[in-house]
Amino acid sequence: MSGEDLSILVIDINPSRAAVVEAGLAAAGHTRVVTLNATTNLAARIEALAPDVIVIDLENPDRDTLEQMFQVTRAVQRPIAMFVDHSDTASIRAAMEAGVSAYVVDGLRKERVQAVLETAVSRFRTFDRLRKERDEAVTALADRKIIDRAKGILMKSKGWAEDEAYTALRKNAMTHNRKIVDVAQSVITAFEMDL
Amino acid sequence: MTPSPAVIRLGFIPLIDCAALAVARERDFAAQEGLEIDARKEGSWAAIRDKVAFGLYDGAHMLAGIPLACRLGLGGVRGDIIAPMALGFGGNAITVSNTLYDRLLSVDPGATGASKDCDPSRIARALARVIASRKATGEPPLSFATVFPFSSHNYELRYWLATEGIDPDRDLNMGIIAPPRMVESLRSGWIDGYCVGEPWNLRAEAEGMGHILLTKRDIWPCGPEKILGLNEAWAKTHGEVVARLVSALAKAARWADRPENRADLSEILSRPEYINQDATLIRRALDLGRHMFFETGATYPWRAHGTWLLSQMTRWGQITAPADLTAVAETVYRPDIYRAALESQMDLPGTEPRILGANAGTFLIPGANGTPFPMAPDRFLDGGIFDREDPVGYAFAFPIAHPTLSPSDLRP
Repeated sequence: MSGEDLSILVIDINPSRAAVVEAGLAAAGHTRVVTLNATTNLAARIEALAPDVIVIDLENPDRDTLEQMFQVTRAVQRPIAMFVDHSDTASIRAAMEAGVSAYVVDGLRKERVQAVLETAVSRFRTFDRLRKERDEAVTALADRKIIDRAKGILMKSKGWAEDEAYTALRKNAMTHNRKIVDVAQSVITAFEMDL
Repeated sequence: MTPSPAVIRLGFIPLIDCAALAVARERDFAAQEGLEIDARKEGSWAAIRDKVAFGLYDGAHMLAGIPLACRLGLGGVRGDIIAPMALGFGGNAITVSNTLYDRLLSVDPGATGASKDCDPSRIARALARVIASRKATGEPPLSFATVFPFSSHNYELRYWLATEGIDPDRDLNMGIIAPPRMVESLRSGWIDGYCVGEPWNLRAEAEGMGHILLTKRDIWPCGPEKILGLNEAWAKTHGEVVARLVSALAKAARWADRPENRADLSEILSRPEYINQDATLIRRALDLGRHMFFETGATYPWRAHGTWLLSQMTRWGQITAPADLTAVAETVYRPDIYRAALESQMDLPGTEPRILGANAGTFLIPGANGTPFPMAPDRFLDGGIFDREDPVGYAFAFPIAHPTLSPSDLRP
């Protein structure tokens, strides 16, 4: 058993995140990883795959369905228990905060499953961080467009150079403890109302 | 300056019986107690259980069976959650697909659903005949879904089926589907029927996807439903906040029970942050009068409800390791907290009845302050009697039961 690769099933509504988790597990040397996004016929598919470990996003509404299957022994062959060691509250909390839950076949060596769980948790976090960075990048781009437009208005109406317009916006923002983009938005609104 | 309110993180599932939580936030009952409820909507009971058990949330609107199962480590998670109050009676119903409904009527034209005068035993007998004829012709077994292995829905549906000789584990496929996914599963033909809380039964009828066969009231009117489940460690260190929370939720539940508030309640619950369904549909569910939020002890954490649920977990083979059922119920259900929070503000029951099921009509029990305390009918559809001193004997007396232990494993 020790040399044998674990069979891992990743269930996630979000296909991109499932792919990130799968890639992480593959990089950690796991070759028997299957991901499922759709949840129809879950029982039959789980029975066919007979996974040692199931990693599923914590918020997935299908977890209730999944847990029932584990109770009905004819649906899944071996009893499955959640998480590796109930005494390890810190690692369970870390997994939950990352949005990961897992079900494992009883009797597997703790370290082997722990490693899978840690990979999943770190990949969920990576995915969240990347999504956050992307959201921030999108926001930053939108902010810059607003600031550019406000600068254009000030340059035209006051006859300022670009750096003068920007300095004015920044100074006003600092004085009033506001974000530059908010000041820029006020400039645009004022300009539009004057029209 | 007013001190900043204590923030409590509470999970909930979009169902009508999350009303007390929603109303406490929206009608200032929480604010009056100096509380801010940080309400978090969840899509599954497993997520609710895990987050409360491991302290990510302080508490949640949850199925009454969850803290009991969790205490016993059933379903893979072991955790300490207490139930200092209940969140209402009623609201569940059993809905079947149009195909199955037509088939029931074809074997017995009188087996009509809850919209007419409903005879639950007659409907169950018709269902037994459909099941027998499917077996005879080699058709696959019918599939029914409930919302969680340890839900009242599961036990109610099974109770009803078994009264007419249907063995849910041998004659049917019994599955689990989260409430918001029920209608879709019926539509896709994945299941033939389900037992769920509102508005997910009326929704199926409104879409022409199925028929409501019977309601919880037809099986056992005042059975346990949802409770306020709190992380025990958190509750221990926040005793005063817990008391204020119980007070806020009880007042909110009382408000929700008043017919004159139904329009407002429907509007609140229909909002995207709560159920996110049409307000008229929710209003219809409320007008059917199947929900009891406060009156007749609907928020009182009756310990007999805990022992009854444990008796059903025993009956259906979910409890697999020896346990003292009465002791488990007493650890989880905490009427002491409920009483301490409310005794100076509201009428409370004096004692908890030992016997459930003996009253076909409303009845009175002694109140804590001398005034009689009104109770709703508690008769089971088959006239069964539950003695909370003997949940084990009760569990083993059913002709259809699949216990995995022997009675001596379940007593002190």
